[in-house]
Amino acid sequence: MPQRPAYLAAYAGLWALLLASATIAVTFGPAEISPTEVWGTILHHLGMAGDSPLSHLRDAIVWQLRLPRVLAALGIGAGLALAGTVMQVLTRNPLADPYLLGLSSGAALGAVIFLLTGAALLMPVGAFLGSLAALGLALLIARLLGGATPSRAILAGICIAALASAATSLLIFWSATGDSYREILSWLLGSLSGTTWGDAVLVMLALALCTPIILLSGRGLDAFAFGDDAAASLGIDITRLRWTLLAATALLTGVMVAIGGAIGFVGLVVPHAVRLAVGSRHRVLLPMSMLVGAIFMLWTDTAARTLFDPRELPVGIVTALIGAPAFLLILLRYRRVT
Amino acid sequence: MRLVVLTTALLALSGPAFAATTYPLTLQNCGAEVTFDKAPARVVTIKSTATELLLSLGLGDRIVGVGFQDGPLPEALAAAGASLKVLADKLPSQEVVLETDPDFIYGGWESNFAADGAGERPTLEQLGVKTYVAPAACRTVKPPKLSFDAIFAEIGEMGSIFDADAAATALVDSQKASLAALAPDPRGLTAVWYSSGTKAPYVGAGSNAPAMIMTALGLKNVFGDVDDGWVAASWEAVVDANPDVIVLVDAAWNPAAQKIKLLSENPITSQLDAVVNQRYLIIPFPASEAGVRNVPATLDLAKQLAALNIPAK
Repeated sequence: MPQRPAYLAAYAGLWALLLASATIAVTFGPAEISPTEVWGTILHHLGMAGDSPLSHLRDAIVWQLRLPRVLAALGIGAGLALAGTVMQVLTRNPLADPYLLGLSSGAALGAVIFLLTGAALLMPVGAFLGSLAALGLALLIARLLGGATPSRAILAGICIAALASAATSLLIFWSATGDSYREILSWLLGSLSGTTWGDAVLVMLALALCTPIILLSGRGLDAFAFGDDAAASLGIDITRLRWTLLAATALLTGVMVAIGGAIGFVGLVVPHAVRLAVGSRHRVLLPMSMLVGAIFMLWTDTAARTLFDPRELPVGIVTALIGAPAFLLILLRYRRVT
Repeated sequence: MRLVVLTTALLALSGPAFAATTYPLTLQNCGAEVTFDKAPARVVTIKSTATELLLSLGLGDRIVGVGFQDGPLPEALAAAGASLKVLADKLPSQEVVLETDPDFIYGGWESNFAADGAGERPTLEQLGVKTYVAPAACRTVKPPKLSFDAIFAEIGEMGSIFDADAAATALVDSQKASLAALAPDPRGLTAVWYSSGTKAPYVGAGSNAPAMIMTALGLKNVFGDVDDGWVAASWEAVVDANPDVIVLVDAAWNPAAQKIKLLSENPITSQLDAVVNQRYLIIPFPASEAGVRNVPATLDLAKQLAALNIPAK
């Protein structure tokens, strides 16, 4: 296992890569605006430079369209990777991610219900309630089966995910009018189109609230990995810790799904890739997964909005296209390692 | 198709004496060969465009059921279509369609003929039910860039199928005359055809009814280079183009007023010239897909466009 200075270098490297990625990604887009103009505009809005070099509309392209989307992509990538890492430990199942446990499907159902009842503005609340309800239901079912063991939680989660997806499809089939299904479909596939400052701020708030809670539980998570009894013997209140972490994960997933739709594979692939590189000590694994998730999400979303200009591709397609083969590669590496 | 050309040629020679259709009549339609032994007597139409075309030919009494109507009938057809039996608000299922004992199904979209819709075309053919897909909406065989002539050809084909050449020719002639009287707007204006969508705008692209209508109006379509009927574009591309006018599609489920509200409340689209100056052209949804309403809708849009006062750039 690498020494501590090596971690510091890795952190520094990832932060540098993240900042460089954001700096570059914001200059990409269907509108041809030079990097100097893009950054002149951003610095102007930050009060660090004089007049914006662009006309008010092109200024708005940078400040109102691109920047919030870049920030939301970073936040959602970090949040999904974080939620995935926590899920994998809590369920002691390497396949766990917000998807498999039904959280994403629950969030999608909650969001669609709120959307269709005309409460579009409260969609994040619906998504949060949905993901919380899915989680609660999965744990309840697992308990009814005789105790919330990891495999039971997963099986219950799969069941809830299927049920929530079917209910979502039913709602859409029953209520979608004209071509409104197109918008819902794109959101279900995962898409950051039309992200506003409000969305970006919400994502950042959710991260700011949940990240400290989860990062501070790093030691507890390490203990969890060896089983509930081992954790309890270390003097950890496992019930309380588990519920705290589950609630934080549900909140994160709910907000991320409400803003970006059901973006797959980030929560699954990123933690595994990072674990392969730095091992499974959570004090290192959690922040690194967040950084890698953020960078991965930013570039996949940049690809989604620029590759087929002037069309937009739902970013969930890109993350799955890259994520699924990447996951296979990771599995092969694991086989060689173990 | 050849028959139509032939019929048209004959008509040209013979003047007002219209040739009756000789059955069996075989035509190629969207990758399938369809043979009619007689004029259809029990018709199911799916989508407004199909219903409205037959009503315009005075064939309302042949329609035994309609499905997937996109909006109210235009005033001129309202009386003729008042008592049509609606099979389903959306796509009717195969059983519902077959229950009406149809001998012909006319679909405005190729996807209407799916197993979970009116039924697949070969299956229906085996049951003795003839089918026809509006050529502009064909996917199996990519249609050429839509033109008014292609719509007139569809009207002509329906005239042949139903032995109603006189009505078809009269309709085509009157639409041609209206179109000939239309002068494209000389101001060289750019436009975006905003059909639906909030997060990503769904806009008219380069090859279907939106492109055809905008060209006739003399508008330069911002997304005209995209070889597709409509496309899910990005707001960035719309804002970057800052179009002179925005064409809004008005549907019951997504009214133009809602789009105007969205455009003017969004912090970025609210700064577009067309939004600041309220330069909108509004077209009803059923008239925005290829069909008999395109010509009257184009004339109406031309009036709306002429009324807009746009300062030279």
